[in-house]
Amino acid sequence: MAETSSRLAIETDDLTKRFGGKTAVDHLTLRIPVGTTFGFIGPNGAGKTTTIKMLMGMLRMNGGQARVLGIDVSTDPARMKQRVGYVPELHFIYRWMRVTEVIGFCRALYDQWNDRLCAEVLKLFELDPNKKVKHLSKGMVVKLALLLAIAHEPEVLILDEPTSGLDPLIREEFLDSVLRTICERQRTVLFSSHTLSDVQRMADTIGIVYEGRLLAECATEELLVGTKRVRAVLRDGATPGEPPAGTIWQRFERREWLLTVRGFSPDTVAYLKAKYPVDSVEVFDLGLEDVFKDFVKGRRASA
Amino acid sequence: MHYGALLRRLPISIDPNSHVPIYQQIVDHIRRSVAAGVYRPGEPIPSLRQLALELLVNPNTVQRAYEQLEREGLIQARRGLGMFVTENGAVSALTKSQAAVYSAFTEGIRAGKAARMPAQRIRTTFDRAWDDTNRGATEES
Repeated sequence: MAETSSRLAIETDDLTKRFGGKTAVDHLTLRIPVGTTFGFIGPNGAGKTTTIKMLMGMLRMNGGQARVLGIDVSTDPARMKQRVGYVPELHFIYRWMRVTEVIGFCRALYDQWNDRLCAEVLKLFELDPNKKVKHLSKGMVVKLALLLAIAHEPEVLILDEPTSGLDPLIREEFLDSVLRTICERQRTVLFSSHTLSDVQRMADTIGIVYEGRLLAECATEELLVGTKRVRAVLRDGATPGEPPAGTIWQRFERREWLLTVRGFSPDTVAYLKAKYPVDSVEVFDLGLEDVFKDFVKGRRASA
Repeated sequence: MHYGALLRRLPISIDPNSHVPIYQQIVDHIRRSVAAGVYRPGEPIPSLRQLALELLVNPNTVQRAYEQLEREGLIQARRGLGMFVTENGAVSALTKSQAAVYSAFTEGIRAGKAARMPAQRIRTTFDRAWDDTNRGATEES
């Protein structure tokens, strides 16, 4: 059991990608164990899609390494793709084909294809096999993309902002289908998203990426429980100095010193009380959205 | 403060925007359901898959919640059958619910102290809240 849980489905070491003079992905090191769901979050342009494209062997890396299910993606992408399902941010499905033709086309690309599962999901999604792709709604295209990504029963599912632009009902159906595939077998999922409530629902682990670098990689619960907002009210005339360990963001205005601290403990409060003349120190819980924003804002401020 | 928010919500729903981790919300929910007698000793609670799909959350998260409840002695696994409420599960749920109430009060007291309220004023505020809650309950029934 210990061996199974320590096996890695996705691992990158110092993964780097430059476009001209700009570094899109900067020495990114990821470890995603088999059977876990990894939520990849970051502002637009942070390098999420570029990372995913390198993992899928669609973009050449400038440095570092990436392995999916132990297979080096730059030397053997074809073998890797047989075992991976991918829903891209933009769906490259031939618009003039009928749904059934698209399925036949993709079926031919894989060694293994589960026709029964395919038929089941087709029915579940209420996809009309005879409709042309160009006549499908946006939600239907996303569902078709998911169907194509899971019908060969991949061990790893990679979803690039899969629910963006979907209405709440279709988003729910989509999440439900992804969860069903997770429930069925020990499947690994990597998905990027701006919908942080979805990330909190789905992800065991969260990676926050900014300017191509990983700011944090941590269990979802730990990130929420361990990151706190602290408010210290300083006495007249006092000014803040060295913040407590783990501070990722801070702001001082009037007498109020606000700090967001990762790995918060009672020591954080004790430190502030011992080092600064404070009137009061309060501690607040944060939702994932605030945690995410403070990580990024703090990084911007220190740059 | 979040316990108050949880009590007022629909019994089977989680808040994916909350600062309370989802696994903790599931633990609280099952515990409260046992304390309220929804699931009695010897009866099964929903399966991992069932609850994961119902709440639309990762089954690993439900599993972590169930593991914690098992460690607390509220539920136990029966091989191949799933999770069942233990004989003293209801007692244990009540004890833990008391801890939740304690922590909600602690939070209120801290807020009062931060606003420099004297102890007496915090106590009268508690009494008022108590009266209001009771009045609300009688109005509803």
